[in-house]
Amino acid sequence: MRIKAQGPLALVGFLSVASLLAQDIPLPGGSVKINLPDGSPLLIARVTDQSRARARGAAMVIDLDLLLQLRNVSDRQIHGVTWRVVAQEVAVGGYASVAYPSLHVGPGETFPARIDIELVRPTQAMSGSLVEVNLDGVLFQDLSFFGPDRLNSSRSMMAREMEAQRDRDYFKRILAQGGPESLKTAMLESLTRQAERPRLDVRVIRGGPAVTSAANPAPERAAQFAFLTFPDAPVAPVDGYARVSGNEARAPRINVRNDSRQVVKYVEIGWLVRDPSGRQYLAASIPTADPGLLLRPGGTASVLQDSALDFSRDGRPVNVQDMTAYVSQVQFADGKMWAPDRGNLEKKRLLDLLPPSNEEQRLSDLYRKKGINALMEELKKY
Amino acid sequence: MNHPDEATLALQAGGDLGPLARWRVDRHLERCGRCRDQVAAFQAARELLPKIAAPPLVHWNRMAAEMKANIRLGLAAGECVRAEPEPLRNTPLFAGARAAVAFASVLVLLAGSVVLERPAPKPEIAAIEGVEFQTTANGIQVREGGGTLRLLHGAQDFRMQIDGRLRSVPAVNYTPGAQGSMGAGYVDPQTEVATVTNVYYAD
Repeated sequence: MRIKAQGPLALVGFLSVASLLAQDIPLPGGSVKINLPDGSPLLIARVTDQSRARARGAAMVIDLDLLLQLRNVSDRQIHGVTWRVVAQEVAVGGYASVAYPSLHVGPGETFPARIDIELVRPTQAMSGSLVEVNLDGVLFQDLSFFGPDRLNSSRSMMAREMEAQRDRDYFKRILAQGGPESLKTAMLESLTRQAERPRLDVRVIRGGPAVTSAANPAPERAAQFAFLTFPDAPVAPVDGYARVSGNEARAPRINVRNDSRQVVKYVEIGWLVRDPSGRQYLAASIPTADPGLLLRPGGTASVLQDSALDFSRDGRPVNVQDMTAYVSQVQFADGKMWAPDRGNLEKKRLLDLLPPSNEEQRLSDLYRKKGINALMEELKKY
Repeated sequence: MNHPDEATLALQAGGDLGPLARWRVDRHLERCGRCRDQVAAFQAARELLPKIAAPPLVHWNRMAAEMKANIRLGLAAGECVRAEPEPLRNTPLFAGARAAVAFASVLVLLAGSVVLERPAPKPEIAAIEGVEFQTTANGIQVREGGGTLRLLHGAQDFRMQIDGRLRSVPAVNYTPGAQGSMGAGYVDPQTEVATVTNVYYAD
């Protein structure tokens, strides 16, 4: 499905005018294309487009602000949707995804979906659509999937859905055992954890060092990872290291072993760093680089990435003292997934370091804005 | 609410305001998401502009050598004409040694003005050779060369009283990926739908 007619010439003219006038101007038609594949379980019921462009110095800034009303035209309940966003004219290799996990949309129901993108580029003539928004996938309640899945959104949506079920079950159990007061206490504990979680500003550079040697005179060293392990994890980390210099770390490499009886096709590692004061932070996730990975039972493989990360907090560099890793996600060849359960995360004190799941964030937001009764009603839906 | 004007926000973004004005603008930014976004946008533009407006490459050593050669030429010309001095009153205003010295001086002045106008660029503190993924004040972005793709979230951290203490709770959780990605998870303030955005790069 294509929303808005193409108007490349109009767009070129418009951007030239916008750059001359140097003020906010609504974007003309043809700037955004929204594509739904044949047989899509979603239809676009309404589009509210408040996209604008303005010239800022030598750059053109384009703000694409779309509010979609999407209708579930399938006969199943939708639990997740992912869009793939491409802006070929602005960022040649850059692309994005916008996903809505934790949905609960029945057949015939609609829900709002917002896409807010800002594009910055040197002022030059552009032609064609600025942005294409393509449906990449829809996840249903029974974990079946529809869509081209070019972003592997079936895996990421399934992982989020598993986390969502895990955390909903946790809060439902608290409600069942202790009533509304216990649920309220659990919500306040969750919000306290969110407030106190140590946070780092991380910059990731692909294809080059994060900063010049002049800015970071610390000599580079190979730092070994320490590991957190879970008794039920199907994959175990064996050894690993990354190159570390001051507040930079690059080229992480971790060897893992498949301890399960099934073939594994995807492994993701959580990477923690500790600063010299002893404070620990979540640095990044490290997924397997090999899209064709088939790790047989007992076999080993390397999880590695060739990128550089630098860490800071409140604008000041945070030096890396030591590093810890743990297996955060595994997908088997049959598509099933494993992730650490809430009890394991709590035992290893990871619950205080990791961000809340999207579902826990949504439920605590609901509690904060609408109170305990609204939260209990929401939990009853599942 | 009175908002600072655009020029003040631009100066704030560059850290060019005086201490009092900066303190006042900081206080305003704590309460005003719109102005915060604008400051973030100015900061992003500042990051972008040096790349766009980078001065053309200047060969400083070659320029210095040319300047020296011109000065020597002027001095040599002066030596040549010193042998047969003429009474000053009979000398044309722009001839011989005077002309050579004046010519050399003009060259030195021109070269000097070029150097002063375009001082030797300082080494960049954070030169980026590849594709950069990072968080901004209001979203996440991937940047390569002059182009930036940024996903905005519009969510703002909130304060709430928990156990008798006022705490600031972040509204957005960022998830960097070592493969080259940046993610943000939040509840959209407009739709109240849990949303996860990611930026990536494909070779």
